[in-house]
Amino acid sequence: MTAVAQILGFYNPMTRFFIAMAAAVLISPSAQAQTFDSQQAGAVIGKYCATCHNAKLQTAGLVLDPTRVGNVPADAERWEKVIRKLRASTMPPPGLPRPDPATYNALAGFIETELDRAAAAKPNPGKLPLLHRLSRTEYQNAVRDLLAVEAMPKEMDYSLLLPPDNSNSGFDNIADLLFVSPTAMESYLSAADKISRLAVGDPAAPPMVNIYRVPDEQPQNVRVDELPFGTRGGLAIRSYFPADGEYRVKVTFVGRSAEPEQVELTVDGERAQLVASTVRQAAKGAQKAAPNAAATKSAGTAKDDDNDRDAAPGYGAGRRPIEFRVPVKAGPRLIGVAFIEKDEVRDEEVLRPRLRGAGAEIGVGVVTISGPYNAKGPGDTLSRRRIFVCRPAAPSDEETCARRIISTLERRAYRRPVTANDVEYLMPFYTAGKTEGGFDLGIQRAIQRLLVSPQFLFRIERDPANAPPGTAHPVSDLELASRLSFFLWSSIPDDELLELASQGKLRQPGILEQQVKRMLADSRSTSLVSNFAEQWLYLRDIENKRPNEALFADFDESLRDAFRQETDLFLDSVLRGNRSVLDLLSANYTFVNERLAKHYGIPNVHGSDFRRVTFPPGSPRGGLLGQGSILTITSYANRTSPVSRGKWVLENLLSAPPPPPPPDVPALKTEGKDTGKTLTMRDAMIQHRANPACASCHARMDPIGFAMENFDGIGRWRDRDAGNPIDASGVFPGGEKFDGMAGLKAALLSHPEEFVSTITEKLMMYGIGRNVQYYDRPAIRAIIRRAARNNYTFASLVLGVVESAPFQMRETPASSEAKTARR
Amino acid sequence: MTFVTRKSLRRRTLLRGIGATVALPLLDAMIPALSAKPLKSTPRLGFIYIANGVIQDQWIPKTTGPNFALSPILQPLEPVQKHINVLSGLSHLQADTFGDGTGDHPRSSAVWLTGVHAYDRSRPDIEVHLATSADQIAARVIGKTTQTPSVEINLDLPTQGACDTSDCFFNNTISWRNPSTPNPAEAHPRVVFERLFGDGGSAAQRMARMKRNGSILDSVMEEVSGLDKMLGPGDRTKLNEYLDSVREIEQRIQGVEARGAHSIELPERPTDIPDTFEEHIKLMFDLQTLGFQSDATRVFTMIVCRELSARTYPQIGVPDPHHPMSHHRNDPALIVKKAKIDTYHVQLLGYFLQKLQATQDGDGSLLDQSLILYGGGMGDGNLHRHSNLPCLMAGKLGGQFETGRHLAYPKDTPMSNLLLTILKKSGVEIDKIGDSTSPLEV
Repeated sequence: MTAVAQILGFYNPMTRFFIAMAAAVLISPSAQAQTFDSQQAGAVIGKYCATCHNAKLQTAGLVLDPTRVGNVPADAERWEKVIRKLRASTMPPPGLPRPDPATYNALAGFIETELDRAAAAKPNPGKLPLLHRLSRTEYQNAVRDLLAVEAMPKEMDYSLLLPPDNSNSGFDNIADLLFVSPTAMESYLSAADKISRLAVGDPAAPPMVNIYRVPDEQPQNVRVDELPFGTRGGLAIRSYFPADGEYRVKVTFVGRSAEPEQVELTVDGERAQLVASTVRQAAKGAQKAAPNAAATKSAGTAKDDDNDRDAAPGYGAGRRPIEFRVPVKAGPRLIGVAFIEKDEVRDEEVLRPRLRGAGAEIGVGVVTISGPYNAKGPGDTLSRRRIFVCRPAAPSDEETCARRIISTLERRAYRRPVTANDVEYLMPFYTAGKTEGGFDLGIQRAIQRLLVSPQFLFRIERDPANAPPGTAHPVSDLELASRLSFFLWSSIPDDELLELASQGKLRQPGILEQQVKRMLADSRSTSLVSNFAEQWLYLRDIENKRPNEALFADFDESLRDAFRQETDLFLDSVLRGNRSVLDLLSANYTFVNERLAKHYGIPNVHGSDFRRVTFPPGSPRGGLLGQGSILTITSYANRTSPVSRGKWVLENLLSAPPPPPPPDVPALKTEGKDTGKTLTMRDAMIQHRANPACASCHARMDPIGFAMENFDGIGRWRDRDAGNPIDASGVFPGGEKFDGMAGLKAALLSHPEEFVSTITEKLMMYGIGRNVQYYDRPAIRAIIRRAARNNYTFASLVLGVVESAPFQMRETPASSEAKTARR
Repeated sequence: MTFVTRKSLRRRTLLRGIGATVALPLLDAMIPALSAKPLKSTPRLGFIYIANGVIQDQWIPKTTGPNFALSPILQPLEPVQKHINVLSGLSHLQADTFGDGTGDHPRSSAVWLTGVHAYDRSRPDIEVHLATSADQIAARVIGKTTQTPSVEINLDLPTQGACDTSDCFFNNTISWRNPSTPNPAEAHPRVVFERLFGDGGSAAQRMARMKRNGSILDSVMEEVSGLDKMLGPGDRTKLNEYLDSVREIEQRIQGVEARGAHSIELPERPTDIPDTFEEHIKLMFDLQTLGFQSDATRVFTMIVCRELSARTYPQIGVPDPHHPMSHHRNDPALIVKKAKIDTYHVQLLGYFLQKLQATQDGDGSLLDQSLILYGGGMGDGNLHRHSNLPCLMAGKLGGQFETGRHLAYPKDTPMSNLLLTILKKSGVEIDKIGDSTSPLEV
């Protein structure tokens, strides 16, 4: 029923009969039994709306003039507001007369049809600047696809290379917020230098030092994902090695162990070395045990560093550091450092966080990888194969080959066919580098220059020279190709897409749809999970959460990882698995490993691998709202926050964010009027809501949050809180009672358009890179209507966005100075 | 060009902790020579922001004038009391709601160094618009000859939600390069280190890299002018931002080339954000002290906690999240806890001030040469009021300010007046900032 309408503020003190009528209104915009002309619409508005919204009263600043219904599109912004109120069934307000449902529906239908027709005749794609800077994530992916470098060494992590981007509504790819500052410019210069050297491979590069710390809360008595079976603890490090050569891997320890331990170093899963760690002698000058050389079986040697002093202070480690020396080939490698598991039958159970300081079980504290030493050459890496599309056979071939290499890279980097002029900009850098250190250095310098080019750093869309001001035109095929790839991959187009666009074939019948399907099937579309969905749902905030250790002793890094993985796998299964997006709320399955299964109370799940589990009917889990990630990011460090949870649902699932709290919030009474007893949080909140200034928003937020109260601050099920039974019941503003998560989900699913409209709006915002506005509503309605026929599959929404006017077109500025139409 | 080594480099001692065999090629970072000007006349400005208001009656001292009695929250500043001024009665009324939608919290951090109201942008096509912040106005004058004209720090990592506005930059930075460009603020000490002291290589290597960057920027300028001709009449804001940035970096490179460079002793490059808040902020203060000392920068802003920060402080017995607790509802237990946080922040400020005080600079201490403004855009966090703001300043700015006093101003004196005074005394020619009415007598 209209529970969603109620969440949105629909207040109905009248009978169930009335509620049922409102529900009928909500069923489907397309199922209109009756159509109106402007006169009929005007009459209804005059009778039911203009009694308050007239020129005299101007209730809520809104005037609805029945005589102006003849030209709805002229006032689109106002009428879109009206539509939202009607479709959410929040107007007329409770207590005031409403038309019968058929009339109500016909009015909404009339306004929508008028607006949609006008939008179709004269699409308004909205305003975008000519230049749209790549976000940090997009830059990272573009570099990956351009130069085949991934798994950056820690020293070159993108969070260190480039400043963070600003976000709006969670999204960091919004064109007008992607600023360029001198700080950013310096970062681009420095990043270009480092990345180009890594990609080309520079044996002369000074050794790089990468220090990896194992988080204190990471348990070390289980196998780490990606490390070999039969090991426990330690660290798996994905890193890029800039050259073939020797690298040093130094391992320091924390905690103590009563027995000798063996430590294994693996490169890409293969054992490189095995050594026994040795006990540090407390007394000065005492005999130091040498590393167990007999156990070392491979190239390279393990070296024990006598002079090392960093391990003991600060960590109180009982063991001396070990230093491995190992040859590593250039390119991305997986380095593993772990203990050999002594007890093979140990269960991977719910583990306590490793305790700091002495007495705790031994674990790896810090791994430092440095090198290359005695570099043998740049190696044969994927990057070099990607870059060097030719090799000069003789010095006389060098320039021709360099031009070929540069123009191939520029085509991908600039996402368009290359002109002779483009190559000329880079050639001086090639020449200077070649003179200084040979052909490869020349290419490296050209790449360095390429990576700071405005044509790489910005997506540039041009308005046709002869386009009249203030008109919309389709973007070029090449511009469309970039829009597509940044939407679906958060990266540059691949050769196939670029080729189709260069030949002008992208808009031929069927091609666009076929490309969208191909791109969704490609692994690069995981960015729709990792970039779109994670930002939409604020999932990245899980990284910042520090649940109180005393209250949530169960929380540790492995649980944080599990939360993240669960939600990513789940989102992937729905979005990239092309299920109905309603499954995001209603699915009866999720993905867990043993750690998470124990946390959720799911039996019979063993091991650290994630697998799909189906919940029994009636389970409160299932769907995003039952997942630890979301339940934790909407909680405080020491408790749940019904307000935050309610706000999160309104903002991210229903597109109905509450306004910020008003100033001069009247102080809450902490004591009951008569009893003098201190109020509970729930009672204090109820009092808070008694204040009309607070009530209008909190009456929408709080019930949603209360419905989720059976889940604690880290998503565990609970029947009691501080000894008191949980009261997950609540009353929606309309007076309807509900209980718990099941009631909340039923309410959300009873009116799927609200949720589908929200995800569509978010997809559009992310896809275009600007805020969604009233003039986008016709496009969104069209997308939803079409997707409804496909059971709201994710692909149908994506394709809808791609084919919409805002995605396909851009608008020329009204005049050259019309840039700052503000307020 | 010459490399002047002011201090000998004890390389071995610095390398400890990384592994003795690893040569860290970063120690002699390029810093502009200090010899050109006597340090005495070098103003340094620091702007440190605290969020969610304070417990005002435990912040504002009960007596005024010199030898005022420190309030409970300001007690940790006892060792530096004669170097600070506490200013009460100042307000930022531009942070009040004007009936629009940006929340009180985002408006508080937006207004603090601008004196301008942060409008919300929920209506269509409203562009980002605030004002150039005081730190940036100053950096353009006093910082223009330094390696890094200004440094922006935020100890809270940016969050996606929980901003009370969809534009989280109002919470995540207090520094605005111009009215449409907020400066990104950095939480990672490593990034701050590299902005101040460069990112590796010997001085000669870095000079070569700088020269290369210079020619890259020249070439980029050429490319942009070619591009500009091909673009239609559309919105060029982003291209202009890019060009401005290119020009500014070019000028810095030329400046360093002209002045030469020297080496100072630096600590190890930080690798990670420290585990604890206290280590984190102290490391940032240490870096900033070095930045001032080496004259790598003369201006910084720091957000100790962003507006709406839900950080918890179990180390001082406050396991409750900061923001919800700041709405203490006059619950005495919550007031005690909020005051503990306020005091703790002041205590950490004390660490920095004492460090500046202990660092020799010219004839006096670094603190004497500097002006550190500490406060926020919210007075009463419980009621969301922007009057009677927490505000204290430390240091004499090279003799421009007397210190050691509590100055009580008439109710709702614009805080912008103080910003105006600070800028004027730093040598900036300026008559108005935000809603200022006249310079404040300090």
